[in-house]
Amino acid sequence: MASVETTIPEPTRVTSPERPPTRAKREAQPRGHGRPALLFLAPFLALYLLFIVGPALYGLVMSFFDTSMVTSGFGQFAGLDNYAEALTSSDFWAALWHTIWFTILTTPPLIVLALVFALLAERASRARWFFRLAFFLPYILPSAVVALIWVWMYTPALGLLSRTMTALGLAEPNWLGDPDLAMVSLAITTVWWTLGFNFVLYLAGLQDIPRDLYEASAIDGAGPWQQIRMITLPLLARTTSLVVVLQIIASMKVFDQMYIMTQGGPNFATRSLLQYVFDVGFTDFRTGYAAAASTLFFVVVLAVSTGWLVMTRRQEPEL
Amino acid sequence: MATLTFETRALTTAEARRNVASADRRTRIFNRCCTGVLVAFALLWLVPLAWAVDTALKPNGETTNPTWAIENPTLASFRTLLAEGDILNWYAASFFTSSLVAVGTVVTASLAAYALSRMRFRHRLLAFWFILIGIMIPNQVLIVPRFRELASVNLLNTYWAVIVPQIPLAIAVFVFKQFFDGIPKDLDEAARIDGAGFFRTYRQIVLPLARPAVSAVAIFSFVWTWNDLLWPLLALSNPNIMTIPVGLATVQGTYGIRYADTMASAILGALPLVLVFLLFQRRIVEGIAGTGLKG
Amino acid sequence: MIGPPRNALTRRDVLRATLLGALAATGAGCSAVGAGLLDTGPAPGTLAYWNLFGGGDGVRMQQMEDSYRAANQAIDLQAVTLAWGNPYYTKLALATVGDRPPDVAVSHLTRMKTLAAGNLLQELEPEDLARHGMTAGNFNRRAWEAGLVDGKAYAIPIDTHPFVLFYNTEICAEAGLLDATGKLSPIKGADQFVDALTKAKQVTGRYGATHGINSDTASPWRLFQTLYAQLGGEVLADEGTRVVLDDDKTKQVLDFLRLLTVEKGLMPGSVDYQGAIALFATGAAGFHLNGEWEISTFQAAKTPFSMTLVPNIFGGDYAVQADSHCLVLPVRPDQDRARLDLALGFVRSMLDQSRTWAEGGHVPAWQPFARSEAYRQLTPQSEYAAAADAAVYDPPGWYSGSGSNFENVMGGAVGAVEAGGMSATAAIAQIRSKLSHLASTAPPA
Repeated sequence: MASVETTIPEPTRVTSPERPPTRAKREAQPRGHGRPALLFLAPFLALYLLFIVGPALYGLVMSFFDTSMVTSGFGQFAGLDNYAEALTSSDFWAALWHTIWFTILTTPPLIVLALVFALLAERASRARWFFRLAFFLPYILPSAVVALIWVWMYTPALGLLSRTMTALGLAEPNWLGDPDLAMVSLAITTVWWTLGFNFVLYLAGLQDIPRDLYEASAIDGAGPWQQIRMITLPLLARTTSLVVVLQIIASMKVFDQMYIMTQGGPNFATRSLLQYVFDVGFTDFRTGYAAAASTLFFVVVLAVSTGWLVMTRRQEPEL
Repeated sequence: MATLTFETRALTTAEARRNVASADRRTRIFNRCCTGVLVAFALLWLVPLAWAVDTALKPNGETTNPTWAIENPTLASFRTLLAEGDILNWYAASFFTSSLVAVGTVVTASLAAYALSRMRFRHRLLAFWFILIGIMIPNQVLIVPRFRELASVNLLNTYWAVIVPQIPLAIAVFVFKQFFDGIPKDLDEAARIDGAGFFRTYRQIVLPLARPAVSAVAIFSFVWTWNDLLWPLLALSNPNIMTIPVGLATVQGTYGIRYADTMASAILGALPLVLVFLLFQRRIVEGIAGTGLKG
Repeated sequence: MIGPPRNALTRRDVLRATLLGALAATGAGCSAVGAGLLDTGPAPGTLAYWNLFGGGDGVRMQQMEDSYRAANQAIDLQAVTLAWGNPYYTKLALATVGDRPPDVAVSHLTRMKTLAAGNLLQELEPEDLARHGMTAGNFNRRAWEAGLVDGKAYAIPIDTHPFVLFYNTEICAEAGLLDATGKLSPIKGADQFVDALTKAKQVTGRYGATHGINSDTASPWRLFQTLYAQLGGEVLADEGTRVVLDDDKTKQVLDFLRLLTVEKGLMPGSVDYQGAIALFATGAAGFHLNGEWEISTFQAAKTPFSMTLVPNIFGGDYAVQADSHCLVLPVRPDQDRARLDLALGFVRSMLDQSRTWAEGGHVPAWQPFARSEAYRQLTPQSEYAAAADAAVYDPPGWYSGSGSNFENVMGGAVGAVEAGGMSATAAIAQIRSKLSHLASTAPPA
């Protein structure tokens, strides 16, 4: 999924479609544009119905059947059995918890570090391209590449991180092999990988703050710290709420890192909800049950984003 | 939004000048510290990439050396991989699918957005909301039914299985519509009065003005398709037509532990997008800043 | 706003991007692109083969593929190694459902049945097999029979890979556990096993034996299954739809394992797979329980070691947990006699190279080699060949087999008992509740 929100107010020319057209225009434009509109919408809508709306409904129906990957047809009607099974399955709840745990581990550092780095970059007079390169470059790498590099970093005894720990005289942690540590290691990788995105959003937010506010505060004798506290942070609230919701949703959808780096292990300690769907649907062939688990996953994501929307709306009515 | 409170007492000119001067000095020192700290972090951020390059340039046998120094620099790992040929096939697959998705997304989404922005027809609002709902449905939720759907029409294991489902991108319609709404209607209305049809207005007036939106949507759908793992992992099983992420994630080197080769494959897998990034750096960054697009 | 127009995609940018793309596409050649666009199907004369072997097995499989290529130069063998375990089986199933499976694929015997139940595998007709000299009598009987589904063959076993006992020859010599020929004196019964481990522990000063426990469900399950089967116990019946766990026998085995780890400290109760190997390789333990494939690891580590059967602890009929690698032919839409013969010819070539494969520790299923003098000379590999005839495979069931949910449930509980974190009674209750949940779920195939 992709999420959107405009961060920068656009000089929109508001022209309400309901505005009564002038006589001249009425001649040029017939009252309705039903036919051309349909033609313009058709290519998108056709694909949209076929590959988004259709599968969504198909999946919903499937979730009430014991559908199997290796047989055709829906299979036996199961009623709410699939949902009941998922909600009573300890594996499902464990996967949900791992997803939430991953979100908890990644979201705060991804927001705080991105904000700090952006604030620092804002004050650096030169070499901005270098910061953008360093922080943003990882974000555009494919997950598989990131995983390969970090598995090598974490390799026991030989990896760079393992060696650094040993060189510092610390016990070498079993980064990906220890069930308690594996998720933290995946979180570190993820912070490295995706921080650049939030960094760029914050940089843009910073550029929107009018210079004269700083100048005025300087006249009042405000130092850099006060400026950050009194001006920058409050004015970044909008950006922050956007970053937070995008980040939480992205973290909830985690799959790639686990699939490649730990395969959900050790002993399923890092299996995310999406990988659970993948496992039951495509490894165990239980397509119907996987569809039910997908639906529950969708409900969780929806609940999180709606919850966040309601919360931020209440705090900031103008958002 | 929080309100700002400043001291309202009127300052004398001398006070103000003194304040500014001392603030300037403090700010300069502070800024220099900031730069220093950030440079340290930026270098830290580059370490994994540098380490990957460093490893890839060593012979396989020397990758267990605990040093950054490369005693016998070699491109052997890159040569081995290119000779095996898999990665070239994966390049082709990634390039082909990503380009077509980018083109398809731009065309379909901008057409739909144009209708929503410029035409009056019944159920316009309904159509708009109907498409907006699509933004709320994560692609990942749809993998199970989509797989069965494409299996039933025998499209699995072709590029089309990767391309076609990724074209309808609701978010892109939204981005285009917002952009079109910001373009003054006088321009295209004038053209329409001159007798230009909707398509010509769209093609010759609105679309050229919407270049920033076009490039943002094109670049992002390209990068997302290039980097997507989950769906192509399901759709492509023939190693010859796998995309780069799928190939790297599923096909294993047969020779046991060869870290230099592994890192070389990571670097080769990353290379095209790094080039794209270097070429379009500013546009990518501005695209994110402007639309908050996130995969 | 997305950006001022001066930052828009210019013609020059598009040109640059196109150049870049053209470069990539030219470099890549067009054959693969064609396949991706049109799904033309495999070219005649190509043979796609998938396996999941890494490490030492991977190197040996590579040798076998190369010698096949050398002998069949007209055939373009496209061998692909995919990530081991569930990802491999998932990909195999997806490829088959998507009508583009490999011609031949490796599978574990215990996972093969789920694939067969899903109609993903071709039935192998006796006359087709006979054309390539493959008859039931030419295979290890146990492996062959374990591969039958409703009496029909779907898989050609190439080996049996049993759970075995590795022993450090120097430590065991010092502990007085070797016989005159330098082999481990036979160990019979629980008391002798405890005694042997105790003596080894006195020599090493650390442990008598090791096996993987932490975040490794397979090893505890393999050990448990070996001992439990020696008591004649079974876990599942009726294709996995019924749980027939025998509480008394289970408790007997679990209590014994607890005695070795928690009570007597003869085995570490908290060590992972790699750690257990490292302890044995560095002489911190006299014995190591694991699959025979780790032979390459210890050879590379220059550990003074040999291998033998896991002893018969409980005195019943001898039994040991095992699985087999086998070759299967996934169902394909374009199957004809020529493709079938091509595939079966490749299978036969793999069997003919059983020696290479056996060097990696696996007990050959191909009897012409297994009965040969050459194999008898191969030590320590042939020392535990008898395990193939006493092999106990994971019980049939859609959720069972190597690396499956079933092994996770069983191994997780057994490992928790060995680590001292759970009582035998609690473990039995946990196994029962988790297994009955799986057993009551309708099989997806």
